[in-house]
Amino acid sequence: MEAAKMASPKSAPKDAQVPGGTRRGRGGTEGRGAERCPRGPAGYVTTILEDAKIYSSHAKKASVDADDVRLAIQCRTDQSFTSPPPRDFLLDIARQKNQTPLPLIKPYSGPRLPPDRYCLTAPNYRLKALQKKVSSTAGRITVPRLSVGAVSSRPSTPTLGTPSAQTVSVSAKVGAPVSLAGQRFTVQIPSSQPTGKSATPTTPTVQNVLINPSLIGPKNILITTNMVSQGTASDPNPLKRKHEDEDDYDTL
Amino acid sequence: VVVEDQPDVSAVLSAYNQQGDPTLYEEYYSGLKHFIECSLDCHRAELSQLFYPLFVHMYLELVYNQHESEAKSFFERFHGDQECYYQDDLRVLSSLTKKEHMKGNETMLDFRTSKFVLRISRDSYQLLKRHLQEKQNNQIWNIVQEHLYIDIFDGMPRSKQQIDAMVGSLAGEAKREANKAKVFFGLLKEPEFDVPLDDEDEEGENEEGKPKKKKPKKDNVGSKSKKQDPNAPPQNRIPLPELKDSDKLDKVMNMKEAARRVRLGPECLPSICFYTFLNAYQGLTAVDITDDSSMIVGGFADSTVRVWSVTPKKLRSVKTAADLSLIDKESDDVLERIMDEKTASELKILYGHSGPVYGTSFSPDRNYLLSCSEDGTVRLWSLQTFTCLVGYKGHNYPVWDTQFSPYGYYFVSGGHDRVARLWATDHYQPLRIFAGHLADVTCTRFHPNSNYIATGSADRTIRLWDVLNGNCVRIFTGHKGPIHSLAFSPNGRFLATGATDGRVLLWDIGHGLMVGELKGHTDTIYALRFSRDGEILASGSMDNTVRLWDAVKAFEDLETDDFTTATGHINLPENSQDLLLGTYMTKSTPVVHLHFTRRNLLLAAGAYSSQ
Repeated sequence: MEAAKMASPKSAPKDAQVPGGTRRGRGGTEGRGAERCPRGPAGYVTTILEDAKIYSSHAKKASVDADDVRLAIQCRTDQSFTSPPPRDFLLDIARQKNQTPLPLIKPYSGPRLPPDRYCLTAPNYRLKALQKKVSSTAGRITVPRLSVGAVSSRPSTPTLGTPSAQTVSVSAKVGAPVSLAGQRFTVQIPSSQPTGKSATPTTPTVQNVLINPSLIGPKNILITTNMVSQGTASDPNPLKRKHEDEDDYDTL
Repeated sequence: VVVEDQPDVSAVLSAYNQQGDPTLYEEYYSGLKHFIECSLDCHRAELSQLFYPLFVHMYLELVYNQHESEAKSFFERFHGDQECYYQDDLRVLSSLTKKEHMKGNETMLDFRTSKFVLRISRDSYQLLKRHLQEKQNNQIWNIVQEHLYIDIFDGMPRSKQQIDAMVGSLAGEAKREANKAKVFFGLLKEPEFDVPLDDEDEEGENEEGKPKKKKPKKDNVGSKSKKQDPNAPPQNRIPLPELKDSDKLDKVMNMKEAARRVRLGPECLPSICFYTFLNAYQGLTAVDITDDSSMIVGGFADSTVRVWSVTPKKLRSVKTAADLSLIDKESDDVLERIMDEKTASELKILYGHSGPVYGTSFSPDRNYLLSCSEDGTVRLWSLQTFTCLVGYKGHNYPVWDTQFSPYGYYFVSGGHDRVARLWATDHYQPLRIFAGHLADVTCTRFHPNSNYIATGSADRTIRLWDVLNGNCVRIFTGHKGPIHSLAFSPNGRFLATGATDGRVLLWDIGHGLMVGELKGHTDTIYALRFSRDGEILASGSMDNTVRLWDAVKAFEDLETDDFTTATGHINLPENSQDLLLGTYMTKSTPVVHLHFTRRNLLLAAGAYSSQ
């Protein structure tokens, strides 16, 4: 089979080597799309045969034989599919797990959830402030520092108990917002405000953003809503855009 | 405790060795077949049990050792002789023609390395042994010893009918010792309460946990007997969460409802209220209803989980933390005030899974919802914020079923990886792994006392596992197809199971025996539920019907004694017709879920399918 397939590209007329061409001319091997055309869009057989050719040449064999094809099939299958663990492995880990006694349950400990990093309750964004346009003295940029863990007495914003201790990093590059790696959603509050306002270390609402993880889901729509409704003197456009994004997420 | 199914190294290796000459396999098999067919009638039924496991094992040997043509002719010659209930297996086998096909098929590999259990009387066994130990039959004797475990009992040989009732699983039958362990099937004691009287009588007298004398007594409110039930587990055998005030209120509510409960029986059948999911386009894959029947959840093939309110009261989320700090925490209706009216709706849709949702379960306190999916995760959702809280990753393969413990906190899940896992909501890894099934675990249920878990599997067995130490304490065989529904009776003593073979089987947990068979359904049974006091068993099936069976009659006068347990001489009465109390057809809507309300109204759910 392999030999015949390999021979066909050489003997096929020009138009048969075109992806559409083989569908018309070849009587004997109808039915299965790209497999009939070894040089056409890659089909399953094509991929396997090409792999087999590679293995065969690696083993310095004169021609592709059944073992090469078998190896090629095996490798492709292992890439695409996995199977559940074998029984002895399962029995082994079961024995290990089942030996430890069941943990005692602490009474009155609130919602019983795993530690926060195993939950999906953390916000998937952090708030940061853009630095204002400053002169090129790169080292002296006073960017309002956002300490995300800060507690404030402002009652109107929800509270965030995020475990991450990092504060927002200061960008050395003027005007370019720092996007935090790993965060999906960066809300930027450009502090392009009159000095009076920005003299206070960030807009008060930003500082007060603390969220109770057990109440708010990952989207934390409520925070940005509050942010906008606070009517901060921030540049309205980016926030407005975010507000529109929230509407897309609202399921109500 | 010995894990019985674990093959030791030598057994595994020797399973790979050549057993005799492959070209002679057909001769060996036909020789044995001839011997069995010529044996006495009383022994023939028992000895015929050998055909199927020997056929499969010999075929797999030939395939594994790459004798393809011998395997093919062996299959063609003998596959028609097998019992009809093995046809599905044979179809799978016919496509397994090369050694490569076997890799990745964990069920077949497990089958090869485990011993198929047969229960044969001593007389029949002696007959067989004598025949096989003759010189010319040595090879097949080796094969028998290699792949079969013959559990011998002293007594009369069983009849074909008795055998047919109990065989059918991929693992054969259950060894006697598999069902010997003591199982604490009794219920845990309910805490005693001062039940305030209901609204009709306005005096607020406190009565010790008993409802007012006018109403019928409920005997599952534990205050009647002060003695410890010897069959009940000690209260602290497994740690259980403490009762919160809200739980106590709920229990009081439950008792009040129980007092108004309709007593069901053959003369008084429940009304059935059917919730039809329209326009689900065959995508409805899981349903659950809360214990107080206030919410219904559907899991769908499009990976959404949808929660509806069954009562006129709408579903609301809690307010944001900002608003919560403004409310008066001391007010009586604080639980109402924390809800945000703006979010009230009849339907909440929960997004998060990345595959069809195959199982859903409400927590008993209605604060949480679990859903398990083809994406391999089990998700915990909050029913107060309607957001996802945790994703439990452990099965890396589709999870077919999940259920909360009747006391909350623990939950069990079972999936394609052939194990069931016990989790607690506050541990990101499972607490127990129940391994032993040969094929996917399709159904998982907690016992009412939360100390045991029943798992039904595609290997056609049901296993009962001890939560305390993960041991398998019972193996029930008899179904001829994968099990899709399980229900414990409210008194904890019995288990009802339903499978693709359309039969409902009833099991006595204490003795480890099959005690009943309910025939009637013509398609897979996806829903089983006992009424609140165990008088009626309701079953719902793909054949678009709900059937009601008389459970009281099914479980009375049982012949469960040591003789039956030891010999498997069960005598199931052909009483399905007598036990059937009613058959209720739906309009081409397969029944996916059944639920008895606290007052014994039967709720059913399914998705309308236009075919």
